[in-house]
Amino acid sequence: MECSFALTGKDYVLVAADTTSARSIIKMKIDEDKIKTLSPHLLMAYSGEPGDTVQFAEYIERNIRLYHIRNLYPLRPQSAAAWIRRSLAESLRSRHPYSVNLLVGGFDTADQSPHLYWIDYLGTMATVPYAAHGYGSYFASSLLDRYHNPDGTLEEGLATLRRAIDETSKRLIVAPGKYMVKVVDKDGIREIEL
Amino acid sequence: MSRSYDRALTVFSPDGHLFQVEYALEAVRKGTCAVGVRGADVVVLGVEKKSVLQLQDPRTVRKVVMLDDHVCLAFAGLTADGRVLIDKARVECQSHRLTVEDPVTVEYITRHIAGIQQRYTQSGGVRPFGISTLIVGFDPHDSQPRLYQTEPSGIYSAWKANAIGRSSKTVREFLEKNHKDDLTRDQAIKLTIKSLLEVVQTGAKNIEISVMESYGKVTNLDLPQIEAIVQEIEREKEAEAERKRSRLAATAAGQAAMATRAETPGGSGQ
Amino acid sequence: MNSFASRFIASSAENEIRQAKAMAEEEGLTDAMWGSDAGFGSLVTGHAFNVPAVPDPSAFLRLHTDDHADPNCKIKIQHGTTTLAFRYKGGVIVAVDSRATAGSYIASGTVKKVIEINPYLLGTMAGGAADCQYWETYLGIQCRLHELRNKERISVSAASKYLSNLVYSYKGMGLSMGTMICGWDKTGPAVFYVDSDGTRLKGDLFSVGSGSTFAYGVLDQGYSWDMSDEEAQELGRRSIYAAGHRDAFSGNTINLYHVQEDGWKFIGNYDVTKMHYEGPGPDVPGAPVGGYGYDVRTHGRFSVLPTAVPA
Repeated sequence: MECSFALTGKDYVLVAADTTSARSIIKMKIDEDKIKTLSPHLLMAYSGEPGDTVQFAEYIERNIRLYHIRNLYPLRPQSAAAWIRRSLAESLRSRHPYSVNLLVGGFDTADQSPHLYWIDYLGTMATVPYAAHGYGSYFASSLLDRYHNPDGTLEEGLATLRRAIDETSKRLIVAPGKYMVKVVDKDGIREIEL
Repeated sequence: MSRSYDRALTVFSPDGHLFQVEYALEAVRKGTCAVGVRGADVVVLGVEKKSVLQLQDPRTVRKVVMLDDHVCLAFAGLTADGRVLIDKARVECQSHRLTVEDPVTVEYITRHIAGIQQRYTQSGGVRPFGISTLIVGFDPHDSQPRLYQTEPSGIYSAWKANAIGRSSKTVREFLEKNHKDDLTRDQAIKLTIKSLLEVVQTGAKNIEISVMESYGKVTNLDLPQIEAIVQEIEREKEAEAERKRSRLAATAAGQAAMATRAETPGGSGQ
Repeated sequence: MNSFASRFIASSAENEIRQAKAMAEEEGLTDAMWGSDAGFGSLVTGHAFNVPAVPDPSAFLRLHTDDHADPNCKIKIQHGTTTLAFRYKGGVIVAVDSRATAGSYIASGTVKKVIEINPYLLGTMAGGAADCQYWETYLGIQCRLHELRNKERISVSAASKYLSNLVYSYKGMGLSMGTMICGWDKTGPAVFYVDSDGTRLKGDLFSVGSGSTFAYGVLDQGYSWDMSDEEAQELGRRSIYAAGHRDAFSGNTINLYHVQEDGWKFIGNYDVTKMHYEGPGPDVPGAPVGGYGYDVRTHGRFSVLPTAVPA
């Protein structure tokens, strides 16, 4: 089942999401990228209702890009997260709401700080040091309460993320096989092999 | 519909003119000059910048804008009209990516912009856009540079090199004389600046140059770079003038010699 | 569905222009006239299609079509199917069965489950036959219009995205389709999976339908990017046979297509029973000698140890 994790460390945010696309009991695809790059320093992991997820994520992606082209500078993570939450909240009150859960991680180049937001399909938003969606959250949240270090190095953050993913793989009966991990820091976004 | 009948601003004159559209073209002719030049694998946009007032922030005045990663637009005419049209084009660029996943082709976005401009000549209660645009860029999966022009009437066309705005006729004639196929990057930039200098008397500080070399690779030349090229052009012009002068002097001397020879038959040269 | 452009209206000045635009559209002047709604004018202005005039169309549809809940329901939607498509260096192989079932009844054994959208695009049919047939034909119309407006063929990615956006706009209204859009464009061979949830996946290999698990079993194990054309066609045939043999709702015959750079080609129609006992025959390239069936394939081989005969 879909799982996504994210955590902040010293000057970076790590975002991980599983790469499986399933339909009933069948894995249709095992290398699907569910983390969108919204701007040079902004990532968004999405999960939820099939169809809604990609439609919503692409809609957000194009609008944030449009903002960047119009203003020549990108939206800051705080503002982007607030706008994304609002889009979701507005859709919730429409005839066809998007059922999408999100983790928005970004690095604010203006004050050199990492930001992470947990957003659910009801439009709840929380600013958090670490976050998870899906069944993985039942294992990861306590684990991260115990092991997360807010000023850890990237290596330390990766080790903590690995703990969360390994624990989920060990105990969750429907654990996903593979994850994609991306990091955002002052240098931008890159993919990391876990 | 009677409602739209009496709302129309653009109606034919008895001899088949749309005056509002022609006035819009007049507004374009009053706007600052913009030049586009297509090279072998590069495309250059050059614009004449109005001098900013002493207390004005020059960064807020832009005549060359990006529509997407790979499409660049310059316009001549009413700046305020340009802003509206540019915004519509930018939305369309992202909308296109959203609906078909691929970025727009240069021709596509040109057609879209021209379509909007045409609509404003045939709708009630609106006036045409007082701008012409030059649109440059590269299509996805393609190395061919593109240059298009649109006009207030909604006409659009592709060019090797073209100019719009103030004195565009002079500049276009200059380009017609001097443009060659397969210009290199430096040649294309030089031709752009040279052609702009035909109408911009104040030199480098009133010229803005954007160069697109391949898909999404855009650079704006800074003032010292433009100044260097302007100086080079001036040196060349001077050298050319010097050559012309000396050639003239030589011919004059030759003619004088001939004249003296003619005056003294059976002279020394025999 | 959220209309993209209308979401950007910020100022009242823009609102004025929007009204002007709306007015222009009222008079039939839309972007589609200039061919610049990504070539998809009708989607932007909202495609009109009749749905049952009831508050909840999908519940209405379920009431009259759900075979499980009510075996006597009036409309029986065709469900059982096996379809597959995969991409390899030599193009795309598309293979499907031809059985249509309505409940426990085999309604037809000669259904065409590959929809020829145009000479370069194929779509497969699983789920509601009518939904697939109608919307993929409709997709063909839009692809042709795109071609005329943009002077180049539509990419497989764009075509599949068009279909996915379309079915997504009907999400929750009872559409039922699971399809692969296959073709060859500037990027090479391409396969996209699109279903009525609005899911759209780019991939190398997909199988859809009640028999898909059986097809996957053979397909995944035999698949490699560097196969020859003969090997690839044989793999497609054999995978559908496997599903036709094991899945009660799939079978009858196999239809095989091959998409290459110059468009698709129909390779052949093969009887599943004949495949079981005899195989495609000696004149089909890549085919083995003899039938695909387990007992045929292993004839004369036993797992019991030869027992020592007491003297």
